[in-house]
Amino acid sequence: MNNLALKELLYKIADDQLILGHRNSEWTGFGPLLEEDIAFSSMAQDKIGQSQALYTLLHQLGEQQPDTLAFMRNANQFHNCILVELPNGEYDFSLIRHFLFDTAEAMRFELLSSSSYQPLAELARKVRSELRYHTLHANIWMKQLGSATEESIQRLQRSLEFALPYALGMFEKSPYESDLIAQGIFEGEEALAVRWKKKVEDILQQTSLHLPEWKILTPVLGGRVGDHSEHLQPLLDEMSEVFKIDPQAEW
Amino acid sequence: MASIDPRVNRLPEIGKPGLIQPKAPLDQLGTFEVFVQPKEGKPFQHEGSVHAPDTEMAFVLAKETFTRRFTCSSLYVVDTRDVYVSPITEGDRNVYELIHDAAANDHEKYTFEIYHLNKRGKQHTHAGTVSASSHEGAMAKAKQQFNSDKIIYNIWSIRTDTIRFTAAEEMDLWLTLPEKKFRDAADYKGGEKLKEFLKKTNHA
Amino acid sequence: MYGEGNTFEGIKNDGLAQEDPIQLSAFEARIDRGEKIEPTDWMPQLYRKQLIRMIEQHAHSEIIGALPEGTWITRAPGFRRKLALMAKVQDEVGHAQLLYSAAETLGKSREEMITDLLSGKSKYSNIFNYPAFTWADSCFISWLVDAGAIVNQLANSKGSYGPYCRALERICAEESFHLKYGHHCVIYLAAGTAKQRAMFQEALNRWWPPMMHFFGPADKISAHTEVLMKWKVKMSSNDDMRNQFLDMYVPKIWELGFTIPDPKLKKNIATGRWEYTEPDWEEFKRVINGDGPCNKERLEVRRIAEERGRWVRDALRSPKATYVSPLA
Repeated sequence: MNNLALKELLYKIADDQLILGHRNSEWTGFGPLLEEDIAFSSMAQDKIGQSQALYTLLHQLGEQQPDTLAFMRNANQFHNCILVELPNGEYDFSLIRHFLFDTAEAMRFELLSSSSYQPLAELARKVRSELRYHTLHANIWMKQLGSATEESIQRLQRSLEFALPYALGMFEKSPYESDLIAQGIFEGEEALAVRWKKKVEDILQQTSLHLPEWKILTPVLGGRVGDHSEHLQPLLDEMSEVFKIDPQAEW
Repeated sequence: MASIDPRVNRLPEIGKPGLIQPKAPLDQLGTFEVFVQPKEGKPFQHEGSVHAPDTEMAFVLAKETFTRRFTCSSLYVVDTRDVYVSPITEGDRNVYELIHDAAANDHEKYTFEIYHLNKRGKQHTHAGTVSASSHEGAMAKAKQQFNSDKIIYNIWSIRTDTIRFTAAEEMDLWLTLPEKKFRDAADYKGGEKLKEFLKKTNHA
Repeated sequence: MYGEGNTFEGIKNDGLAQEDPIQLSAFEARIDRGEKIEPTDWMPQLYRKQLIRMIEQHAHSEIIGALPEGTWITRAPGFRRKLALMAKVQDEVGHAQLLYSAAETLGKSREEMITDLLSGKSKYSNIFNYPAFTWADSCFISWLVDAGAIVNQLANSKGSYGPYCRALERICAEESFHLKYGHHCVIYLAAGTAKQRAMFQEALNRWWPPMMHFFGPADKISAHTEVLMKWKVKMSSNDDMRNQFLDMYVPKIWELGFTIPDPKLKKNIATGRWEYTEPDWEEFKRVINGDGPCNKERLEVRRIAEERGRWVRDALRSPKATYVSPLA
């Protein structure tokens, strides 16, 4: 098994989960409705937990401890897509990102649940059940707000158009794509993107939102190779502020 | 706003500081009752309520509001307006004494979920399901089927088809719940660390 | 997280002469028998009013109480603390949700309660008007403010109103996690580097005075609330709760080698009561009335959160909805 390919895959998924979980946790206590505040926080916790589990797999493959991986790397060492590092904006953007990302993530873990790399397949089967809730939540919010008031439809439409090029960046190919596919570790970004587009179309059709044609969209790439927006490093600095007071200390 | 909380520093400016717009009626939406089955085979019990726009969303929001700890095998919600409530009694008065006996000609069009309050201050728990054509009929049926020498203080009747149940394919929503130990007091045992610390400081 | 600090004002006119004496005596007999009052029961106006006031303040204290610790939610060090703090602050929001529902069963809508919070008409626990300067402040809150809240809430969970008791049972179960987590954090700071120890000592110095305020004014200067004690609305005196808290937690703080910033603090073995420097009740009053270090920020953050969410809630509102209060 090609360890470099496997590690690259694990890093990008783990980093996606960590960064988005962190972003989403910023809403805790600031949400639009108490019940939704709670739900959104739970999903953020799920993501942080998932990233920790993935870093643990990496640690078992010889990488550093999960805490070190999460709290001590710089932005250019992170493999997350740029979508997840963007600031939360208003709830319309946070929801759109949640919908676009979790739709892909649920499918990614569905594919990974039959990965030839057993530890990942086992983890994926568990994570799948958590993501079932995340997509249930995302879909109902899209359907509700995507066909409610003029303001809600407009806000979602604007955020959708803004987020889509970044969302396509989720499927930025790994240099090891063919290895991963050949070894049955992961079916590959292209296969995932095809499924994802179909699902996004299907949900958006049940709303008043308009999906631009895929072919006019230019994916925002670079995240997977450490080429990030200006938003990631400040996020990491904030996240590790206490940890870095003394990285050797136990907190 | 200049704050020591970086999240607060990122909040947008909106409206005027200190200018409060009173909330419109229903700003917090409708009311839904939430029922949880903690383990398979155990009866459902009432856990509380959520505010939500409809039963579907109430279900989604109730899940994390009421079942993010311990175990859960199933959850359902119903619009509070769809719960029919009997009078409430006290002391040694059984509320079933106030319920009419079942009419012979009830056409049994619907099924109803019957909930009992076994003790004031406790939660309503599921007693069983009856068939009837109305809530009054359902309570009468419940009297026939579930009344015993135990004192019941209050009865709720809910028409089954108004409930948003957990669907078969959603049953794994709680699969990883027991593994979320970080929400559990038992995961924060500081005893060893404390002992080690005390030993060290006593030597010093 | 809630202490009873500012719940009750002196009752000038209890209105009991206007209540139906037969209903009133049945109501009191039920409480004497140890049976709970449920929402559809008859109850005196004063009971309803004071309960709404107390439960509403408790709910506000939860949602505002999420803010000082929330200060550290994006900065918690390491996975373990990060997950725990997220879950802990989430729980506070969850407690607000439960308590607003319990108060709603008495006839005040969540809309009215939130409006009254924002306008300053109704209060919340004073302690949340102080800032959490460092990570160690958040650990102090998780451990000791929650410990104080548990003393108060355990007492109140034996009260007479069914929906409040049910909410408190759930809340206390969740707060046992907060308490353990908070203590765990503080043990690690105590056993850690000199810097870590100093961080907590400084936090303790900052938070001790508001912690002493937490249970409310000394009995000798607080409002008389006999009728509320009789009706099992108020379950324990402020001084008794303060004493119980000191009994349980001062030894644990000392065990970790920290110094509590009150030279007079000691237990009088003869009386079994703790002696301490009289807390500054003038400051307590000043902060309740809006002049604390964070009052403005706390309310402004809530106002912004509500304003930002308005379009979301407007979009969710259905023409078919009508307001009903929760059942139980």
